[in-house]
Amino acid sequence: MVFSSYDTMPKCFLKTYQEVHAKKKIAMRVKDEGIWQPYTWYDCLQKVKFLSLGLASLGFMRGEKAVIIGENKPEWYWAELAVQSAGGVVVGVFTDCIPSEVKYYILDSEATLVIAHDQEQVDKIIEIKEEVPNLRQVIYWDEKGLWNYEEKYLYSFETVFELGIKFEKENPDSFEKSVAAGNGSDIAVLCYTSGTTGNPKGAMLSHQWLVGSGMSLAELDKWKEECKGYLSFIPPAWATEQCLGFGCLLSGIEINFPEEPETVQQNVREIGPELLFYSARLWESVSRTIQAKMADSSRLRRFIYRNGMRIALRVADTKMLNNSPGPLLKIGYWLVFQTLLRQLRDRLGLSNVAVAYSAGGALSPEIIKYFLAMQVEVKLFYGLTEAGIISIPPKGDIRPESSGVPTPWAKIKLSEEGEILVKSKYLFSGYYNKPEATEKKLRNGWFHTEDFGHITDDGHLIVIDRMQDMKPLGNKGKKFSPQYIEVRLRFSPFIKDALVIGAKDSENVGGLINIDLDNTGRFAESNGIPYTTFTDLSQRPEIIELIAQEIKAINKTVPGEFRLKKFANFHKELDADEAELTRTRKIRRDYVEGRYGDIINALFENRKTHSVETKITYRDGKEGVIKTNIHINSII
Amino acid sequence: MNHETVLEIENLSLNFGGIKALHDVSLTVKNGEILAIIGPNGAGKSSLLNCINGFYKPQAGKIRFNGIDLTGLSPHKIAKLGLARTFQNIELYSGLTALENLMAGTHIHMKRGALAGMLFFGPAKKEEIKFRKKIEKIIDFLEIEAIRHEQVGSLAYGLRKRVELGRALTLEPKILLLDEPMAGMNMDEKGDMARFIIDVVELNQIPIVLVEHDMDVVMDISDRAVVLDFGLKIAEGLPKDVYTNSKVIEAYLGGNEDE
Repeated sequence: MVFSSYDTMPKCFLKTYQEVHAKKKIAMRVKDEGIWQPYTWYDCLQKVKFLSLGLASLGFMRGEKAVIIGENKPEWYWAELAVQSAGGVVVGVFTDCIPSEVKYYILDSEATLVIAHDQEQVDKIIEIKEEVPNLRQVIYWDEKGLWNYEEKYLYSFETVFELGIKFEKENPDSFEKSVAAGNGSDIAVLCYTSGTTGNPKGAMLSHQWLVGSGMSLAELDKWKEECKGYLSFIPPAWATEQCLGFGCLLSGIEINFPEEPETVQQNVREIGPELLFYSARLWESVSRTIQAKMADSSRLRRFIYRNGMRIALRVADTKMLNNSPGPLLKIGYWLVFQTLLRQLRDRLGLSNVAVAYSAGGALSPEIIKYFLAMQVEVKLFYGLTEAGIISIPPKGDIRPESSGVPTPWAKIKLSEEGEILVKSKYLFSGYYNKPEATEKKLRNGWFHTEDFGHITDDGHLIVIDRMQDMKPLGNKGKKFSPQYIEVRLRFSPFIKDALVIGAKDSENVGGLINIDLDNTGRFAESNGIPYTTFTDLSQRPEIIELIAQEIKAINKTVPGEFRLKKFANFHKELDADEAELTRTRKIRRDYVEGRYGDIINALFENRKTHSVETKITYRDGKEGVIKTNIHINSII
Repeated sequence: MNHETVLEIENLSLNFGGIKALHDVSLTVKNGEILAIIGPNGAGKSSLLNCINGFYKPQAGKIRFNGIDLTGLSPHKIAKLGLARTFQNIELYSGLTALENLMAGTHIHMKRGALAGMLFFGPAKKEEIKFRKKIEKIIDFLEIEAIRHEQVGSLAYGLRKRVELGRALTLEPKILLLDEPMAGMNMDEKGDMARFIIDVVELNQIPIVLVEHDMDVVMDISDRAVVLDFGLKIAEGLPKDVYTNSKVIEAYLGGNEDE
């Protein structure tokens, strides 16, 4: 199959197929029933082709939208390519969305088809089916528990494949024709932006966006030369996975899918991928787990770890300053690498890593340094759903705070207020059905990111915070970035989340801390501190002292006037189901500040305790009330 | 699904010395149904299960399973016939991993001897791989992939119950007896377990006999219910009928002497 141009996902997919098929190469691998099950390029093409024809036979038309909701599995990829081959648009939805959210996405995108993972997701659709009249069919790929469902609009993948095979006999070559009819400027995906403000908006991404941003990044970071495998587990509903995952597929890099979301850490070790993307949160959580486990291990191990890391971190420091370590340090590092870091890298599945990424949130410099110390360069890139990847650190030039230099296809400038404005070859095609929102963000060809940042003399971009999150401190017009401090607080293994607030009438900074239940719980156990619930544990004097010590240490690394002077521990965990966090686990600042306004007030008054009564929603939908006293603590 | 009788119990009586644990109990279990056995503490529910799988020898009565008389057979022979059960107080090897516990459940179907197994050679190896494949299907079914290699003793209670159900499934049972599968669970875990129980019946087309205290669960998932009180069967029928039966209410709440 030869096309006049390769400007759509399905066309490029077929092109890569022709290049690698003869070598019987593996395209994807998924861990199922305890074994990594491979799919060749031939298998994948068959799946995509007949699924796509099956959709056509069900009446799916060019330009129609299909919601896909599921975990990262080969079926997600096949479904996406099948929908796009049929000329449709994919709308990715996060699996932990509740039915009302799924309903919003279906209605807002005007989707007529849903492709769902399993019973859990299908049940959500059945619950809202009456309220989404334009939805015609629901197709699922994991039939477990769905055997006896009688809804007429439900189809299994197998049924659709068979429809596709029949359709092919009646309409030969229709798959190829349908792919050939696609255009680079056609919309391929609607990516809903995570919505720290207002309702999520569907950013329209064209085929050119997808193919272009994936392939250009692959070229820039030499994926084809250095990488064999990729572990796919960030949600495909997110533009980042669309760019990385499909970029890998089109580059002929094997895509590996973990067995379950809970088994990612085991699976990454089995696969040892060369290309890896962890969210900032995950890099943090990996380093946190090591620290907690080391604290639990034998004295000898702790000794090796502590002293080994000291040497390794010094080497990382010199690297970050672009110096080269002295001969003695080099020998020391070699020893540490052999005795400690090699094993650590293996444990974490980082043995083969050639390219490691992070994005979508600030990453503490300590974390970047920590992994650099074990020779993993975590490239914190700056990207936007609406404009693709804007800046990325060049190889060998990993600096704290920096998001690297602009990519060859993007331009950056700062507005007078310090807002980052970007231009890119891979710009989105606007928000779906929201032209006024598009106009607001896209002016004179520059996309307004609403991020506050600055550019260093040698062109590195430093993103400090969201514009709207730069908060006033005191009443003299001073501003500071709470996130800057929060990221550093989260580096403590005992702090899972933090909300930092500036006082209104003084220049005091205070923090609300969500303790890490696992690690503080372990600390409590090994120190013989009895506790019953999260609420109880969070207000134990020993735990408060522990957190105070952590904050003191972190205070030393931030500018004097931003240091935390007061703090209190949250009496409950912040929860996405209560709208306190977004689905990507970022704090919804305004909401949380409003909800716990009284605690915040208490923080800046000279009080020792504050009693609260909070309504909480349990996992099963029941509601309850937590009543407790919260301790207000000062850092001296 | 054919609704022929799988298990038939006729006039079963069990005495411990002078105490009548079961008195003249009769019931049948049909293919593909979930039968709940309920009753107050000490009503004889667990005793009934123990009679069926051969732990106790009843003094009178007959138990027939697919036409075969079970009375007098030893528990391991009964298990081999396709009758599997779980226990009220989880009975797993707590020092072994979830996977090893499940593998242990398959030994009943293994044909190779201990020596061949130790050498792990030829047919013994093939057999082990065959069973591992089966077990992986069960692990997938019960969604316990993440704890495959974890020691059972360190698992949360709800997960241990799931592993125990998994082990019962490794026997490829033709009927499953569950002794309080949801005792001590929270709402989430109960919901999961209820779904697994229904899925087992739908997927394997086998009946399940369920001893359960939680009336909500019984009402939700069982097709029929049998009520025992002091070793006597006092009611049988649809869960909602049994629930409103005056004898049953009396058994649970205590009778009124004046009436």
